[in-house]
Amino acid sequence: MESSDWELVQRCQAGEIGAFQELVLRYHQKIYVVIVGLLRNREDALEVAQETFFRAYRKIKSFQGGSSFYTWLYRIAVNMAIDAQRRQKRNPLDFRETMDGLFEEQNEVARDPFSDVHDRELREKLVASINDLTPEHKAVIILRTVEGLSYKDIGEILGCSEGTVMSRLHYARKKLQEKLSAFL
Amino acid sequence: MSLLGRILKRALLFSCLICLAAAYSVNAAENNSQTVRVKIGTILANNQSDEIDPKLNTIKNQLKVMKYRSYRLLKEETQNVAWQGNAIFEIPGGRSLTVTPQEFRNKQLALKVRLQHGDKPVVDTTVRLNNGGNFLLGGPPHEGGALVLSISATAQ
Amino acid sequence: MRDCKLIRESLSGWLDGQLSTSDAEIIRLHLESCAPCDGERHQLEKLQSSLESLLVSNVPRIAFEPFWAGVRERITKKRSWHEEVMEWARSTFAAPGLAWTVPAIIVVLLGVFALDSFWKLGSQRNNFAAVESIDAHGRNVALLREDETKTTVIWLYQNQEGEDESSGENTETSPSF
Repeated sequence: MESSDWELVQRCQAGEIGAFQELVLRYHQKIYVVIVGLLRNREDALEVAQETFFRAYRKIKSFQGGSSFYTWLYRIAVNMAIDAQRRQKRNPLDFRETMDGLFEEQNEVARDPFSDVHDRELREKLVASINDLTPEHKAVIILRTVEGLSYKDIGEILGCSEGTVMSRLHYARKKLQEKLSAFL
Repeated sequence: MSLLGRILKRALLFSCLICLAAAYSVNAAENNSQTVRVKIGTILANNQSDEIDPKLNTIKNQLKVMKYRSYRLLKEETQNVAWQGNAIFEIPGGRSLTVTPQEFRNKQLALKVRLQHGDKPVVDTTVRLNNGGNFLLGGPPHEGGALVLSISATAQ
Repeated sequence: MRDCKLIRESLSGWLDGQLSTSDAEIIRLHLESCAPCDGERHQLEKLQSSLESLLVSNVPRIAFEPFWAGVRERITKKRSWHEEVMEWARSTFAAPGLAWTVPAIIVVLLGVFALDSFWKLGSQRNNFAAVESIDAHGRNVALLREDETKTTVIWLYQNQEGEDESSGENTETSPSF
């Protein structure tokens, strides 16, 4: 029977690195997807994702089980991504180029839903508009859209109330709507 | 909070604001009919000892500037007086002090103060001071020293 | 109009299924009878669909073994004391909570100082008083200010020509200020 997250955490706290490896296996893809949504660059996202797990390992003994392990982990990931974002000095246009490279690299062209000109323009505009959001507003959009997390979980991750999550989502979506009104 | 809760909260907030505005306007109207509580402390300052009356602890630091070695509270008197009304206090040595509150503006009271010896005016002054604050009027000689009057006023 | 504003603010929560049953019902009923708000709902749904296509469908899977190797290398690597201190400082001072803690502490300290200066006993308060006019009827008068509490002192000197009010009283010389 598969061990629960909490059982793995407790084993890890006792010094069993194999238990931590199991946790990494469970969450590495989810964490990477969230971070790549927040940052502009695949290499940076990979680096930050690995740092996230490293930091989680260092702080694992302080995890008391008050929240779920994955919200605790997401919190570390989002904070690290926001810090990394603030340190980034790249031109916003690079985000679009990086994301394009991301799609092409994976040969997703055949399945690319943005195949016609209109959709391509929408994608570019969407990418630029997301970039214009503050890190906190981008985080709620990513966590809700990518992970489908509840407002409660998002609030736990970002350290705010559910009301604040809803208000930030409303604001972020409104901003995106305004910028994409010609396309929607 | 639920949607209904938020609608109710906004309505309640709006009602509170209306009530506050009404209360403020009533309060503003009441300001015009307030009285002023005037308190006079009559203090004898001399160098005949090194003691400061314990009753003067609250204004001990204020008295330092006069450099006498001894201060004794002779009497303390309080009167409530209407704006523009006269509060008259008897001061030792055949003197009297008349305090007339003039106005209350920006949390400060303006007082007209007259000290006289019998019928002769000694000093007339108009002083603006913080509500509840005081100033000192001193110098009239008395019993080998000098009188110091602590004059304070509080709008009621 | 006010209701439409509230409804639109809650549309995100409604679309995400995060509202209570009763609130969701209020919104559903409103959308049935309000074309502008319903139009807003359609726009939001299209936006959400575009976001999901961009952010979810096209992110590649990463291989676990190389990823774990990178994490493990970090765990086993010995860090210098300098790196340890930098990491501690970064995690402590970059924490979102601290962004509010520091200004909150400053506001509390300012409040304490302000309250402290306001509530100090009479002799410690700012007791400033302005003398707007003074007529000593020919006598010398001094205006003084006590430094600590800023208390105003009006000092009347005895008339030097002997016409003082206190003739007959045994007086000492006036104190030096």
